[in-house]
Amino acid sequence: MKRAATTGLAALTAVGVALALGACSSPTETEADGPLTVWVMGDSGANFEALVADSGIDVEVVAVPWDAIDEKLTTAVASGSGPDILQIGLSKLATFAEAGALLPLDDVIGDYPNLDPANFPAGVSGAATAVGGEIVSVPWTSDTRVLFTRTDILAENGIDAPPATWDELREAAKTLAARGDGQYGYYIPQWDAPLPIEMTWSMGGEVVDADGNVDFDTPEFQDAVDLYTGLYADGSVPTNGDFDQTQGFVSGVAPMLVSGPYLGRGIADSAPELDGKWQASPLPAGDGGSISLFAGSNLGVWFNTDQKTTALELLDYVSAPEQQLAWYDLTGELPTASAALEDSELNSDPNVKVYTDQLATAKVLPIVAGWDGIVGTELLNALNAIVLTGADRDASLEAFYAKIDGLAVK
Amino acid sequence: MSTELLRHRRAGTRSGARRMTVAIGAVLAVGALITAFPFLWMLTTSLKPQRESIDFPPTVVPQDPTFEWYVRLFTELDFGTYLRNTVIVVAIGFLGLLFMAMAGYAFAKFDFRGRRGMFFIVLATMMIPIQVTMIPTYLILNGLKLTNTLVGIALPTLVGGFSIFLFRQFMSTIPTEMLEAARLDGAGEFRIFWQIVLPMSRPILAVQVVLTFIAGWNSFLWPLIIASDQKLYTLSVGLSLLNQQLAVNPSLQMAAASVMVVPILLVFVVFQRYVMQGFALSGLK
Amino acid sequence: MRSRLAPYLFVSPAMVLLVTFGIVPILVAAVISTTNMNISAFASWDNVDFVGADNYVALFADADFWQALGNTGLFAIVGVPAIVLVSLFVAILLNRSQSRFFRALRAFYFIPAITAIVAISLIWGYLYNTQFGLLNYGLSLVGIEQVQWLSDPWLSKFSVALVAVWRGTGLNIIIFLAALQSVPKEYLEAAALDGAGEARTTFSVTIPLLRFAIFFVAVTTTIAWLQFFDEPFVLTDGGPLGATTSVSIFLYKEGFRLNQFGYASAGSIVLFVIIAVITLIQLRLRRADDEY
Repeated sequence: MKRAATTGLAALTAVGVALALGACSSPTETEADGPLTVWVMGDSGANFEALVADSGIDVEVVAVPWDAIDEKLTTAVASGSGPDILQIGLSKLATFAEAGALLPLDDVIGDYPNLDPANFPAGVSGAATAVGGEIVSVPWTSDTRVLFTRTDILAENGIDAPPATWDELREAAKTLAARGDGQYGYYIPQWDAPLPIEMTWSMGGEVVDADGNVDFDTPEFQDAVDLYTGLYADGSVPTNGDFDQTQGFVSGVAPMLVSGPYLGRGIADSAPELDGKWQASPLPAGDGGSISLFAGSNLGVWFNTDQKTTALELLDYVSAPEQQLAWYDLTGELPTASAALEDSELNSDPNVKVYTDQLATAKVLPIVAGWDGIVGTELLNALNAIVLTGADRDASLEAFYAKIDGLAVK
Repeated sequence: MSTELLRHRRAGTRSGARRMTVAIGAVLAVGALITAFPFLWMLTTSLKPQRESIDFPPTVVPQDPTFEWYVRLFTELDFGTYLRNTVIVVAIGFLGLLFMAMAGYAFAKFDFRGRRGMFFIVLATMMIPIQVTMIPTYLILNGLKLTNTLVGIALPTLVGGFSIFLFRQFMSTIPTEMLEAARLDGAGEFRIFWQIVLPMSRPILAVQVVLTFIAGWNSFLWPLIIASDQKLYTLSVGLSLLNQQLAVNPSLQMAAASVMVVPILLVFVVFQRYVMQGFALSGLK
Repeated sequence: MRSRLAPYLFVSPAMVLLVTFGIVPILVAAVISTTNMNISAFASWDNVDFVGADNYVALFADADFWQALGNTGLFAIVGVPAIVLVSLFVAILLNRSQSRFFRALRAFYFIPAITAIVAISLIWGYLYNTQFGLLNYGLSLVGIEQVQWLSDPWLSKFSVALVAVWRGTGLNIIIFLAALQSVPKEYLEAAALDGAGEARTTFSVTIPLLRFAIFFVAVTTTIAWLQFFDEPFVLTDGGPLGATTSVSIFLYKEGFRLNQFGYASAGSIVLFVIIAVITLIQLRLRRADDEY
């Protein structure tokens, strides 16, 4: 017993010491030498290396798989040793800022012209993505949700234009689902937590009240739930969780989808014979207009980096509109700098113009730590329980409100 | 029974036995095809052009085979580096194999104070769910300054209770008389281990070699967390890097998966002869 | 002249590693389980408070945890016998002959065991896909409707378990084969001379001689299945609606997705205790080692 206790104490001390050592290293006045380490998401760091090749800064890029970002960031935060710069999805921003992983940038951001919050859409820069009142990241890439339709299949069924409102979408979905067995009109991904929120926004509602508290108990959310459950009730959407969006769209089983630019690229790459038979159009509107999600990633500086100045120089470099457009050419990920978003060459592709127009009115999800894990998961559980297992609607929603009670934007 | 009758009966049994063997062989072959089918599908898909691999209805045999994905893995996607790292991790794993054999031998053939307690610890470590011990383990490695090294990747899973248990079980069947005889001849303990015990444990060693190879080869979690440098990623991590948010190139993913599986299969085919053959517990009868 | 030190020297490298990377972390987890530690702890230790047994109380009041426990129990009760029986059966059949053909067949049965879980998730994900998967396509050719392999609450448990059984038999077949080969030929010949047929010999002579191998496989498989993680994680992410969430997946999500380290540590201690108890019961049921 005693030995176990001393072992435990020793272990905890070891942990404590490790953490303390990790936390103790503060940014030094003198810059360290050597390459800047940058973490980017995806299958390869080659694109980022290409982007910064002419920056004059020595950069070492590490690619992190999308599925593993949680473990990698958590252990890095736990040990205190991370990169110098890292890409952070907007949904994770609050979590890691509250863990102290990101360096506040308020005092230095004024020194770098390209990082000026005014250069970016209001929905994503400066105060919109500050955590606890501090700016801890700069916008990097943007992503949104628009409507994709197989115009050829719609035309064959008497629908001349992509639906412009949710009511029109619901009607169109019914018509298309009537084509036959195993055919659907639309697809609701069971993992897409932002979708009901986009619906709520377009009904004119908010999910955060005036005091900053997360609040879903609103009439507009009820309208969104009506729409969501209605699509299932009409039989217009598949009920299995492993439905493949791309295959569904390409094969025509689900000719309407709400998705992001990566879908557009995916279709163009894998099914070039469909060129001209599909298009992107604005997200269907409700009474409050067509309001979509502003997603994407920001770039942050690691809290105990020893190359703060160099890191900021690199951030400044990649935030310049030319570099933002170059990144789009390399990867197809949309820029965030307003000047880049308005670039005429970028917008010469009509589908891209749809994305950039949508971004102008798009909103970010509330910057609340653990949003994905708590609100996102519980929202999906509640809705999926209603539509997939027939759970009682009010009971499900009440349980959902109870679970997220107390969350607030800091 | 007369010899005549015995011979007749034996002959009859022999041809009956042969028919039975053929029947069993057929059943096993069908079972084998079913078992290996996903693997075969993986291989064929890796040769399909991208458009065909997302086609519906799905094709089993590629209509238009191409090796472009394999080429791409090694030219554009760093798979050569991942392969090298994986081989190194596996090599380090073989050192762990030696440690485990030594421990298994000690538990099997020695009576020493603390043996029961230690063996209990060995068993206990098999029951520890790793999801939550990941962070403390990472902190330990960090303290030892082993993060971002290939040694750090291999270390946490270098020894496992399962293998020590296996060694102990099999080694306990080695006759103690042989060991005592060697000791009386003046051989040192480690010499006895190396020259008598290990050769007699060839079958179980072969099993363990294959197991160690597999574990090291497929290692995913630790390389991912410990390597902050992509140049230290292993094949498994490389494969998951190909999981974009929307998987649109199954062929490429299958090619990567094939690269992972085929070498292990070769190792197994080579070693299975040693596993089964020469199971000479010569001192046993 | 046996050195007193010899056994300790033999045992120490492995023990040091096991203690460092096995025992110490679980002790740390035990300590953390009495706190409310989450990710904000890394910003400042002040964010961590001692909460005693609160996590454990909350755990047992958590419906999701009970669901995970139920799923894990179900998987273990179905999966372990399945693996032991199938592996034993196939090993006995494979042992029939040492011909090249039979030896080649072994490789096929071993393939699932050597495939990385990442690859398995890809392959089976595509095979099981409701609309576009090969399995449902095959079924459609004989007129059977689409099966929601991974989306139906009960069927998904079966689908996930099937992949795990497919994967788990390979290794155990090899172990049984090795054990079968060590059955002394005299026993089999004696039985044949006595007039026993094939099946009778197998049941009455061979299998009892495999007692320790069967026991070993049963124990290790049980321990592994109580920690069931890989297959449900990559195929269904514990879904749909928690239908395939095992305790390990529950812990992982609490720890890494929700960053509730204290809570997750408490869960892992509970799981560890469950595994230890069940294993001890199995060991008790089997007293002595068979050293034939």
